[in-house]
This record gives sequence, C-alpha cells and structure tokens, in this order.
Amino acid sequence: MSLTETGQQTRRLDLRIPLAIVLITVALAAPFIGSRYVTHSLIIALIFMLPAHGLNLLVGYTGLLSLAQAAFFGIGAYAAGLMAVHFGTPFYLNLIAAGLICGALAIPLGIPALRLRATSFVMCTLGFVIIGQAISKNWISLTRGDMGLSGIPKPYFELGPLSFTVSGTTNFYYLALAIVVIFTLLAWAIVRSPAGRNMVAIRENETLAESLGVPTWHYKLIVFMMSAVFAGVGGCVYAYYLTVVSPLTFQMYYSTTMLIIVLGGGAGMISGTVVGSLLFVGLTEALRVAPELRMIAYGFCLLVLVFWFKNGFAPLINRFWNAVGGAK
Amino acid sequence: MFSTLLEQVINGIVTGSVYAIVAVGMTMIFGVLRAINFAHGEYYMLGTFGAWFAIDFLGLSYELSIVVAILATMVVAYVVGQLVMRRMVGAPAESGVLATLGIALILQNSIIFTFGGGYKFFAGGYIEPVEILGFSLAQQRILILVVCLLVFVGLELMVTYSRLGKAMRAVSQNVECCGVVGIDVSSVVLKTFVLGAALAALSGVLTAPVNVTVYGGMGEIITFKTLPIIIMGGLGNVRGTFFAAMILGIAESLVATYVGLQYRDTVGFATLILMLMWRPYGLFSTQARF
Repeated sequence: MSLTETGQQTRRLDLRIPLAIVLITVALAAPFIGSRYVTHSLIIALIFMLPAHGLNLLVGYTGLLSLAQAAFFGIGAYAAGLMAVHFGTPFYLNLIAAGLICGALAIPLGIPALRLRATSFVMCTLGFVIIGQAISKNWISLTRGDMGLSGIPKPYFELGPLSFTVSGTTNFYYLALAIVVIFTLLAWAIVRSPAGRNMVAIRENETLAESLGVPTWHYKLIVFMMSAVFAGVGGCVYAYYLTVVSPLTFQMYYSTTMLIIVLGGGAGMISGTVVGSLLFVGLTEALRVAPELRMIAYGFCLLVLVFWFKNGFAPLINRFWNAVGGAK
Repeated sequence: MFSTLLEQVINGIVTGSVYAIVAVGMTMIFGVLRAINFAHGEYYMLGTFGAWFAIDFLGLSYELSIVVAILATMVVAYVVGQLVMRRMVGAPAESGVLATLGIALILQNSIIFTFGGGYKFFAGGYIEPVEILGFSLAQQRILILVVCLLVFVGLELMVTYSRLGKAMRAVSQNVECCGVVGIDVSSVVLKTFVLGAALAALSGVLTAPVNVTVYGGMGEIITFKTLPIIIMGGLGNVRGTFFAAMILGIAESLVATYVGLQYRDTVGFATLILMLMWRPYGLFSTQARF
C-alpha cells in the first residue's frame, strides 16, 4: 500500500518495474520465506491456476460457462498416472501426453455439447464430470476403482549426462512455478493474438461475429479443446504432486473452484486468474484448520463477490497497477 | 421375472415422486429467476434435519415434525430470499451460479458444524408394509405417491388459476413487461422461492423414513439428481418436470437392478446428455424458452 501512496505523490514516477521485480523475487523466494505448509498451499494454487487459465479462455474470453474443467483435470491426472505407473515414461512426456489426450477427447465431447445453449450447456458439461467419476470408479481393471492409482514416481529429468529427481516440497514448487509460467505466457499469447480478439467478439455478440466472417463454431470448438489441454496439464501436475490419483479427482467441487477463481479474479483477464487462484485456493488451503467454518466463510465470500465485486477483483488490480505506474 | 420388473418400476415411480417434488420447486424458481439454484437440495436436507430435530430433541410426533420442518425451512428460505434471491433478478447466469453455490456451502456446513457430520438415525414415519395386488409396499412409499400427486394437481391449478400463479407465468415470460403493468417482480420471486424451498423440505421429510439415515451432505446428491430432471422437463415447465422425474426414477431403479447399483447415480446425467443430442430444448418443449 505504501507503494500506492508514493506513486500518487510523485505522479510521474513509474514503480511498475520495481514492483514486478519485487513480485518475481517473492515468487522465487517463497519456499524460503514461508513455512512448508505455505509452500504446499502455493503449489496447490499454482496447480489450479492451469485449468483456471483454460477456463478463463472459455468463460472470460469466449463467454461459454462450462463446468467440464474437473472432467479434463481428472482425465489428465489419470492419463499421466497410468503412463507413469505402467510404462514408466518420464514426466515431461506424460505432461505432453496428458494435455494431448484431453485435447483430443475434448473434440468428441465438445461437438455435441457446444450445440447447446446457456443452461443446457452448463448441465451437459457438469454431466461430463459426473460420468467421468463413474467411469473412474467402475473401470476397475484400468483405474483400480476407489482404491486409486498409487505409487506415481517423482518427476525425473534427464538432460544428456545430467539427471535429477524433483523431490521435496521446495523443488516441486519450482517445477510447478516453471510450468505455470510457461502456460500463463501461452494463455497471454493466445489472448493477445488476433484469435483472442475474435474470441472476445464471439463473447460480446456471436451473431455479429459470425456475420463479420469469424468462424464461430470452429473457434468455440478450438477454445474448448485448448481449455481441456490446460486442464489436462494441470491434472498431470496434480497427480505427480499427490502421487495418488483417485476418482475424487473428478469432483464437481473442483469445477466450481475453478469457476470461482476465474469469475472472482476477474473473467477475461490473465492477471485476474493468477490473483484468483492465489486468493481462493492458496488462502483457503492455508485456512484448513476448521473445515466447516472455512467452507461457511467461503460461502459468504462468494456472496460478497456476487454483490459487491461483480467483475471480480480485476478492476481493483487494474487500479492498483495504474496507481503504481504513476497515473491517477 | 415379470414381478421383479413391475416391482422395480413401482419403486422407480416412488423415487421419481421424491425427485419430482424437489425438482418442481427448482424449475419454478428457474422460471422466474433464470438462475439454476445449486442450493436447492440443501432445503431438502434442512427439511429432514428439521424433522429429525423435532422428533429427537423436542419429542414431537412424525406428523407434527413435518409441520415444524416445513415452517423452519420456509423461515430460512425467506431470509435467503430476502437477502439474496430477490437481488438476482436480471443478474447474469454466472452470478446466479456463484451466489447459489455460496448459499449451498453456508447452509450445508452450518448444519454439519452444529450437528456434526455423522449419520443420524431417523426414527419417525410409517414403515409398516401393506399388501396391494400381491405387492408389499411400505406405507410411507404410498404416502409419498399420494402427496406427489396432490402437490402436482395443486400446483397445476395454482399456476393456471391463482393470482400468484398467473404472476409467476408472467414473470417467467418477460420481466420488464411485468414491471410495466405493475407486477411486483421481486415479491413474486420471493414467494416462488419460499414455495419451492417448502416443497423441497416436504420431499425431504417424506423420504427420511425410507432412507432411515440423515446427514449433512445429503442435499448435494439431491441437487445433482434434480438438475438433469429440470433440464429434461424443459426449464420452468411444471408438467414436463413431473414426467421427466418419473422417467428418471424408473430408469434409475431398472439400472440399479439389471446393470449395477454403482451406475445408479450416473443415470440422470447420461440420460440428459443423450436426450440433449436428440431434443436440445427438453422433452416437452419444441423451441428454446430460455
């Protein structure tokens, strides 16, 4: 907050670069500043940021309210887990495979679902989560049912003669941070591209966008696919972090958490999703002392969000950022 | 063989009746608010907890506990309606989802926080079996069937003839025009909401003796069962909801017997997705209503 005040007093002094440096330093030094539990909370927040970025492309930029993220999150987790346990393939390969499998599955699921409108689309995507959970519970020969897949090895890298295993919370934090940075930049690049502007056009007025020559159907399908890729990658990292995959990965609660991250942080804004996951996942993960009270607080938080911060926290972030930049 | 089939169909109709009473409230709320109420199952849970509390702590009879449970739920629904639902008129779909999810979390966890998360034994109800046409059916199940029919006949009459029913239909067609001709939209929303919650509570109290156990997380499952029903029935369509609930109840019962119990909870959404491929606007609507 003191940064804001200095920015306002001097007016011209641009403190955005120093602030960015401070934030990057904090992000890099976080495991050494906070306790192990804080690091754990941050890792969970980083993992949820991946599917949330995908959902932001879908909800925030293209205007399609979907609850299917948890389904792709679960599929990604199982895909990575099964490959790691049965084939012993390395981490980066499983990460790519999880993303590709989810992306490929999103096409047959998306074609019928995207023909639906509004509420029916929401329910259809919610159905994917419920059916995904049922399959993971009952296809016991593949997924071991409720017992879950356990014994997923630690991420292992081999670069020529060098090889190292990511073990321990601190190391995993850096791995997750690296993956999240790559995918955040990817989401940013998508949004900044002409394709991103077409997505916004579809969100604002689909008929008008189509009349201007935007192939809306292809765009919607491709964005649905991309959101699945993001979710699948997130699922893979989640599986490696927990070393166990169970049918509980397919949870409607996860879908709504991702939706809360996107809408609460500020839909249609990359930084909104980043702040949203730190706020709604990291913070609640850190407050896990009294589960019931925590969920009650969470519920009230949602109501506050709906009534007082209709556009999420994004406008606040924007104002803060501009104030830091010296504007008034 | 045939008698098992028939028995399962009858069981399915009873289950369908339970879902129908909950779903009809949800679909009416959708009609006036255009918001999916993710908290609807929680009123079902509040109803059962109200009755359980009345029987176990206040020592009331089952009949009285029904009244207590429904009144208590209506009070909660009134407060929620005043503070939250009334403001949802004209709000975007995302706000509705977030707000009702928030309410679901608050209601469910307040109950778990107060009474504990474990399973509780529900003592009331008429569980004596009676023989009808060679089938033995618990009295409670017959009661559920009868109440369901009464509720739907009553609602059909109310929606068609009463002042509130007409206002509800008007609001579900065009909110702005209602404002112009002097219909108090937020009061209609509030009344519909309290009525819907009371019906959910009624369904909860009636089912509790059949399910025997009561626990804080039970509302969530009911919400998930009713969501496909209201879409299949055509959102805001009272009659459609009744048939959709019956279809789903029977389908669940048959799947549980002939395919496997573990697939029962998937039937709703699987049927819904298949149906949406064929009729995107619901079984009983020929064009998009919302």
